[in-house]
Amino acid sequence: MADTKLAFIVQRPQYKSENPKLGITHAISYQTVEILLEDGETVTPTLCFIGDGVLACLKNQKAMEAYGTTSSEAHVKTALLVDLNVLVCKEDLERFGITEDKIVDAEDIGAEKKIQIVPFETIQTEMDSAKHLLFF
Amino acid sequence: MKLGVFVSDYRNTIDTLDRLKAERLGIIFVQNGIYHAAIKEGGKPPSLLEKSANFYALSEDLLTRGFIDSDVDSRVKVINYSDLIDLIFNDYEKLAWL
Amino acid sequence: MATLTIGVFSSLVGSMSLDFALKLAETAVNKGHKVNLWLSGNATALAKKNQKHLKDYSHGEKPLRALLEKGVEVCSCEACTLARGIQKTDAIEGIQWNAMHWYLAKIHTSERVLHIGGE
Repeated sequence: MADTKLAFIVQRPQYKSENPKLGITHAISYQTVEILLEDGETVTPTLCFIGDGVLACLKNQKAMEAYGTTSSEAHVKTALLVDLNVLVCKEDLERFGITEDKIVDAEDIGAEKKIQIVPFETIQTEMDSAKHLLFF
Repeated sequence: MKLGVFVSDYRNTIDTLDRLKAERLGIIFVQNGIYHAAIKEGGKPPSLLEKSANFYALSEDLLTRGFIDSDVDSRVKVINYSDLIDLIFNDYEKLAWL
Repeated sequence: MATLTIGVFSSLVGSMSLDFALKLAETAVNKGHKVNLWLSGNATALAKKNQKHLKDYSHGEKPLRALLEKGVEVCSCEACTLARGIQKTDAIEGIQWNAMHWYLAKIHTSERVLHIGGE
């Protein structure tokens, strides 16, 4: 059984450009990739937020109300719901003064996974063990 | 004059490139990145070139912007697209576009 | 020889990163490698035919048609393309339309992946 590990690294803030959001949605698409692979083959992404990218994980994003578009918060919640490992850089959150209570949680929609706040070193380790890197 | 300025970008000073660790690091200047290889500000080359890495600059992007090989810092190797493909397949197993 | 998958999200005309991706794909194929090209975000505008090649502007249609003739698999993100008002009937012949999992599936079978995010 061949599994391909991927590291999706979102390093820029959301909304002005759609690309950081596409980082999240591309990672989520691992859910359906099996229809295009041989039996038993899988792709396993880890979704990582670093630098200004950690701002995607703030709660209370009102993109739908303001612009009629799905918020990145909603996409991050979906990522947790489909059991993606979502890592957020601890040092960058601290730099912005963002505490855990301000971070997205998807318990209300039945997700078992939670965002993991980790040192950058842990994200570096994920990059080392991934077969390919995708920076958004 | 009376000037109102819209600031529409937020870019922090923390550089992803500074944080990445690799046993072999290649820094490939393409597009506007070639300015790191060819421009000195205040007479000094960019501190980026002090990093422990192999540096390359894409000749087509240098030429496009009015630079020739002799403008390029001696630490940077000028390569073309064919060399770049060889680097991708032979020298660097993972690629990151910043 | 090996497989390179390029994902490009940069704007047609508005960014020369897309020109870079096309030239890199062409070089790889000319050197005997297999290439897959995934278009998403603003890069999906490249899928539209009848682009007028004006000297002052980057141009994607002609190099893309050349890549398709050389066997490069090119796929445009269906949602991104439709969101931009481009229908399948507007698209360059030979381009595939699929969802994001196409990109992941191609990455799975590639030796090298270059993901070129948009600006």
